[in-house]
Amino acid sequence: MMRGWLSCPTIPWYQAVLGFRTLGVIVAISLLNTMEPLGTSPVLLSVAGMLGVIASSRLAQTRLTNLAFLVAFGAAAILLSLLFGTLNYTLSGITPEYFSLSQLYLHAQLCLIAMFLTAGATWVFWRVRGAVTFEAIVFAAIAIAIFAGHRDYHFDRPKIISSLAWSLGIPHLSMLIVVGSTVFVSLLCYLFFASQAVRPRADHTNVQVSRARRGLIFSSIVVLALVGIVYAIQAALYRHYNTAMLARVSNGVGMGENLGVSPLTFQSALGSTNQPAGLIRLEGDYSDNPFTPMLYLRESALSQFNGKEMVFAGRAFDTDLPVVSPQATFTGKEDTDLTPRTPLIQSIYTLADHDSAFAVDYPLSIVQLKNPNPSRFKSAYRAYSVAPAFPLSSLSKLEVGDPRWTEEIKSHYLQPHADKRYEELAEEITKGITHPVEKINALTNYLSRTSIYTLTPNHNVSPQEDAVVPFLFGDHRGYCVHFAHAMVYMLRALGIPARIGTGYLTDLSQAKDGHILLRMSDRHAWSEAYIQGTGWVPFDVQPDQVESHADTQVDTKLLEELMGSLEPGEEILPSETTKNEPGMEDPETSWIPNKQVIVWGFVSLGAFLILVKVTLRHGWRIAPTAAGKARWGYISVASLLHDRGILRAFGETRQNFANRSPDGVLIPLADVVNYATYAANPTLDKRQVIATILKAHAHLKRVPLWKRAITEINPSSIANALGGGTW
Amino acid sequence: MVTRYLSPLCCLALLLSPIPSLAQDIDYGQQQEKTVDDPFDPFDIFGFDELATTDDRNKTAEELVREASLLLATERPLDARTKLLKAIQKDPNEYKAYYLLSGYYLVHVGHYRLALKYIRRAQELFEKENGTPPYASQLLQLEHGNLLYYLSQCRLNLDNYQGALDALDEYHRNGYRAEWYPGARSWVLMKLGRVQEAIKIARQGLLTGAESGRTLNMLGILLSMNDQPQEALEVFRQAIAYEFSQGSDGQPATPLNNAGEVYKEIFDDVKAESTFLRATSLPDGCEHVLPSLNLTLLYIEQLKTDAALSTMDAFQRCIAQFPLRNNEEHAALVNLARGRIDLHTGNVDRAIKRFETALQGTQWFGKIGTNQDDLVVAATISLAQALLRQNNLLSFHQANTWGEWLKQKETIASNSVRAWWLMRRARQMLIDDLHDIEDLTIRNTDSLLEYPTLGEVLAGLSGSALSRRIEAQRAKDSRAIAGIFYDAYLAESESSGLFSGSANEKFESVMQRGREGFDTLLKTHASLRRMLALSPNSESYRELAYRVFYTVAPELRNYGFKLPVELNLSGTDSRSMRSAIEAGPFREAAGKGNLCSIATADSTTPGKLALRFSCPGQSNKNRLVEGSTPGEVVNKLSDALFREEIRNVGPN
Repeated sequence: MMRGWLSCPTIPWYQAVLGFRTLGVIVAISLLNTMEPLGTSPVLLSVAGMLGVIASSRLAQTRLTNLAFLVAFGAAAILLSLLFGTLNYTLSGITPEYFSLSQLYLHAQLCLIAMFLTAGATWVFWRVRGAVTFEAIVFAAIAIAIFAGHRDYHFDRPKIISSLAWSLGIPHLSMLIVVGSTVFVSLLCYLFFASQAVRPRADHTNVQVSRARRGLIFSSIVVLALVGIVYAIQAALYRHYNTAMLARVSNGVGMGENLGVSPLTFQSALGSTNQPAGLIRLEGDYSDNPFTPMLYLRESALSQFNGKEMVFAGRAFDTDLPVVSPQATFTGKEDTDLTPRTPLIQSIYTLADHDSAFAVDYPLSIVQLKNPNPSRFKSAYRAYSVAPAFPLSSLSKLEVGDPRWTEEIKSHYLQPHADKRYEELAEEITKGITHPVEKINALTNYLSRTSIYTLTPNHNVSPQEDAVVPFLFGDHRGYCVHFAHAMVYMLRALGIPARIGTGYLTDLSQAKDGHILLRMSDRHAWSEAYIQGTGWVPFDVQPDQVESHADTQVDTKLLEELMGSLEPGEEILPSETTKNEPGMEDPETSWIPNKQVIVWGFVSLGAFLILVKVTLRHGWRIAPTAAGKARWGYISVASLLHDRGILRAFGETRQNFANRSPDGVLIPLADVVNYATYAANPTLDKRQVIATILKAHAHLKRVPLWKRAITEINPSSIANALGGGTW
Repeated sequence: MVTRYLSPLCCLALLLSPIPSLAQDIDYGQQQEKTVDDPFDPFDIFGFDELATTDDRNKTAEELVREASLLLATERPLDARTKLLKAIQKDPNEYKAYYLLSGYYLVHVGHYRLALKYIRRAQELFEKENGTPPYASQLLQLEHGNLLYYLSQCRLNLDNYQGALDALDEYHRNGYRAEWYPGARSWVLMKLGRVQEAIKIARQGLLTGAESGRTLNMLGILLSMNDQPQEALEVFRQAIAYEFSQGSDGQPATPLNNAGEVYKEIFDDVKAESTFLRATSLPDGCEHVLPSLNLTLLYIEQLKTDAALSTMDAFQRCIAQFPLRNNEEHAALVNLARGRIDLHTGNVDRAIKRFETALQGTQWFGKIGTNQDDLVVAATISLAQALLRQNNLLSFHQANTWGEWLKQKETIASNSVRAWWLMRRARQMLIDDLHDIEDLTIRNTDSLLEYPTLGEVLAGLSGSALSRRIEAQRAKDSRAIAGIFYDAYLAESESSGLFSGSANEKFESVMQRGREGFDTLLKTHASLRRMLALSPNSESYRELAYRVFYTVAPELRNYGFKLPVELNLSGTDSRSMRSAIEAGPFREAAGKGNLCSIATADSTTPGKLALRFSCPGQSNKNRLVEGSTPGEVVNKLSDALFREEIRNVGPN
C-alpha cells in the first residue's frame, strides 16, 4: 500500500521529487525550530509535513479537480479543527490536568497546519504550470531574506554561518558564499529533477514523455561546471572583499601596520557587526582603571601626518608599541619615569585574523600560550601591561610633552595640519583656557557636544582631499576615525603632542569572570595626548547625538561557550567526580557538523553511489537463481546503455527498447527476462543465462576505452535507479 | 545576598593563618622565547616566571590560598582567582583552593556547574586527606561543614533541590551547627514544596540563635506562601528592624521589598507603594532591580505611567553608580517594564522593540523566586499584545503613498501571524513550563504577568478547562479583589467563544467592583472588551469610550476603537477631511453638546490645513494640528490625542 503511494510508474523522477520535497520540509522545520522554538516536536511536524506531500502528490494524479481539492482541503481543515476543538471543549473536564487536552490540541493544530501547508504547496506544484519556477523563486527569496543581515556583515543573523565558519575554520565571508552556493546548487538540482517530473493529468491528458533525460550527461556536466564557476567566483569575491572591506567591517578601523599607511577609512563604517574578534581574560582586578567601565586595548598608533591623514610611523617614534604579530613574542622596556601605573596581566585569544597583537595600554611583554582550541582561536598569547592607575582629575595641572624627547621626536608629534582652520577653531574653542590638559578637555567636550555619531557619513570627498574637513567644518556627522583625526589636528595646532590610538574599546561591565568577548563592532580609533610624567593618555570623543551606532548585544552564550574551552581539564577537575550530579549537562547547543563529519559524509555518500553502480553492473553475479540472474543481467546491460545515453522511453515496452538497442545487444536478455516473467513454468539454465550476459557485455566493450571511462563516471544510471525509473 | 554569608567563611579560613604581605615586587625580566604550555592556568608561574612575582614563586600552595582568602574578603575576586589557580598548580591536592574557587564561581560569577565541579573535587580531596566523617578535630568539622554548605548551594542553584537537601542532611547527621543552617534548610524545603516543614525549621532556628536577618526573611516568605499574610508582615517587620540595627552592614531593602510584595498580594496598594518607595530610597535599594520593578508594575496596574517611568529612571540612575555591575542582570526586566509603559502610553513601536530585547536578553535570576520561564512568558504575551495594538494603530493611520499603504498592509499581515504565533507559544508555556498556569494566583510575587490583561491570552484556551481551573483557584483564594480578576478572565473567555453567555454582565460587574484608582488597568481593559459587544452608535458605547478617553486615551486607539465626535467642518476640503477623519480613530456622532468636537481651524502656515479638537470642560484635551493633506492632519491629531510623549531613555 505504502509502496503504491510512494511510487508512480507513469511519472519519471517521481520518487526523487517526493524525496526532495520531504527533505525540504524536514530542513525547513528544523531551521524554523532552530530560529524560534516551535513548541511541538519537529519530528512530529516533519511527519505531518511528509504526509501532506505524499497524500497530495497521490491525489494530484487522480481526476480530482482543483476546485474539488480546494473544497475537500478546506472542509478537512475545518472538520479536523472542529473535531479537535470539540474534543478539547467537551473532554477537558475529565482529565486530571486542567489543560492537558488543550496542550494536545495546540500540538495537533500545528501539525495540521504543517500538513495542509505542504499538501497545498504540493498540489500546486503538480497541477500548475510554472509552479516549480515560482517555488524556486520563493525558496531563493526566503534564503536571501534569512541571510539579509549578512549584507551588513552580521554573520550571526542567523548564527549558523558563524558557527559553521568557526567549526570548519574558514572565514565568515567564505562560509556565507559556500552556503549561498549550496543553496543555489540545491535549487538547480531541485529544478532539474522537478522539471523532469511531468505534471500528471494537469489537463486530463496522458503523461507526456520528457526528452530532457537524453541530455542528462550534458546537464550533469553543466551542473558541475556551474558549481566550479560559483566556487571560482566566491574565491575571487572573497579575496577582493576580504581586503577591501575589512576596514569597513571593523567600524572603519582596519588592520595592518605598514609604514606611511593608514588602516583607517573615512567613507563608511558599515560594520556594527557582532562578528567575534577575540576573547580577553583579565588575570587580575583592574580596580584603578581611570576609564571605568571602559577598557582601551591598543593595537597600533598613527603618529605621522602625511599631509592628508595620520599614518603609521613605526617603532622609530612610537617605541611603546609592540608591533608584533599575535603569534610572536615581545619584551619591551618599562619607562620607570611614568607614574603611577599598575601591572595588569591579560590572556588574549583571537577569534579573527589580526596583523598585530593588542593589549591594554603599554604591554611590556607578550608570550605565546598554547592554543586551547585551535578550531576556534587563531592565536593565544599573554600580555603583561602596565596600565594607567591615575585618576583623570589628577592630570589637570600637568604639562604636556616629554622633556627627554629630541627635537625630531617633538616635531614629529607636533607636526601640524597645513589647513589653518584647525588652528583657528582650536583657538576659538580654548579661548581663555591656559592649561594644556584643560584645553584638551575643552576640545573633547566641544566635539562630544556638537558631533553626530553615524556609521555612514557619506561625505563626498575625493581620495586626495582631507576627509576631516566635511566633518569638522561641515555637517559634524562622522565616526571615531573622524573624531580622532579632528582632535589630533587641533591638539597639534595648540602645541600638544598627539597621535591616534587604534585597537578595541570594550566595556568591563560586559565581562564575566574577567572574560570579555571582543566584537568587530568594538574596534575603535581614539586620540591620545602625551602628558608629562604620565605618558600617552586617551582623550576620547563621546558624541551626545547618535544617528546610527555600532553597539550590538554581547552574545553571552558564545562568551560562556568560549569560557568553557578555557576551563581546567580532566587532570584538575575529573568528570568522574560529578558523574551522577544532575544539572551538569551542557546547555543545549545546536549541532554543527565539523570538518571530519563533512568529509566522512561525502565519503559515505560517494561510497553509497559507487555501491549502487556496482550493484547495477554486477548484481547479477550474486543472484541465486537463473531468473534472478537474468533480470539483474538485463539491468546490468540496460544501465550501461543508460550511461551511454540510450534510455528506455516512458511507455516503451522492454522488447521495443531491446530492439532499439545498438546491434540488438539487449534482445537476448530481454527475451530471457520476458520468458522468466511471463512463462507459466519457466525453466532456465543458469550457465546459459550467464553466457548471454557475458556476451552482451563483451559486445559493449568494443567501444573505445575513453568512452567507456565516461560511461563509468556518468551518474545517470544511479539517478535512474534511485529515482524509481524503468530500465 | 549570598555574598554576605559566604564572605565570613572566607574570612574564617583567613583567620586561621597569619596574613601575608600582598606587596608585590615586580621583576620585569628579559625576553624569553617560550610557550606557556598550560592553557587553562593563565598564572603559570613556571612558564611566565620573568613576570611572576618573586613572592608567588616561592610561596607554598597553602600560603597562596591564605592570600586568596584575603583578596576575596577585600573584593578583589580576579586576583584571588589567580592565586587559587596558582595554588592548584603547585599542589593539585590542596582542597582549600578548590573550595575557595567553588565559592568564587558560586558567588562572584554565578557559574554553578563549575562551582559544583570544584566543590566536589574539594570534597573528594578532603576525604582523601582526612578520611571519612565523623571527624574528631573541630577545625575539620568546620571545614567539612563548609564544604557541605557550598555543595548544597551549588545543587540548589542547579535546581537539584533533593541533592541540596541531601547535603544539608549530611551536615545535620554529623552534628554540625551554624547560624545559616535553618535559613538554608527552610529555603530548600520550600523549593521542594514542603512549606509547613520549612516554617517549622525557620521558627526553631530563630529560637536557637540562627542568623536573624536571613531566617526572618525566609520565615516571612514562607508564611506568605502559606496564606498567612499578617503573620508574614509581622515577621518582615522584625526583619526590617533587625537589618536597620545592623547599621551600614544591614540590608533593609530586602525585607522591605518582601513586605511590599505581601501588601501587594493582599491588595493593600497604598502600603505596598509606600513600602516599595522606602525600599528604593535606601542605599541598598538599587542593588537589585526587584523593589523598583515591583513598584513600576504596581503603578502600571494603576495606569500611573508617569510614576512608573520615574521609578525606572531612578533605578537606572542609581545602578549607574556601579559601572562594573553587569547590565544583563536587570536589562531584560527593565525592558519588560519600560515596554509596558510604552504600550500603555501609545508608543507601541518602541514597546515592541523593548519586548523583543527583553526576550532576546538572558536574565540572571540568582536566588529570587521568579525564573527565566516567568520572564519569557510575560514578555511573549506583552509582545503579542503590542503587535495586535500596532495593527489597530496602523488601521487608523492614513498612508500618503501607495508604497506606505502596501507596507502598512504587509506589517498588519505579518503582525497578525506573529501575534497568533506568540499567543499560541505563550499558552503552551503557561501550560507546560508554568504547570497548568500555576501563576493564576493574582499578583503572585514570582510572576511577571500583567494580570489585568491576562484574560487576552487565557481566552484562547478551552473555556471549560479554564472555568474548571478558575473554580479550583477560587477555592483556595479567598481574596475578594482577586475574584474580580477571575470574573474578568471568565468574561473574556466567554466573549471569545461562539456563545458569549453572561460575558457582558461579568464585564460590567468587573467595571463596577474594580477599585477606583488602583485597578484602573483592569477596569479599562474590561470597559474596552465590553465595548466590543456594543453598537458604536449606542449611548453606552459613547459613555464607555469617553470614560476611557478621559482616563487613559492611548488605550482607546490601542484597542482599535473610534471616539465619537461632533464634526464642524467647512471650506473646500471639508468632504475629504470628513472622510479622512472617519478613516482615523474618530466617528461622527450627533452630539448633545457633551461630545468633543473636531472643527476646521485657521492655519498659521499658508496653504496648510488645520483642525481643532476641543472637549467641553476638558481644556487639557484641546489640540490644534496642521498638515498638508487631510490624511496628514488626521494622523497628527490622532497621535497628539492618543499618544503620550515620554522620554526615550533606558537600557540599550
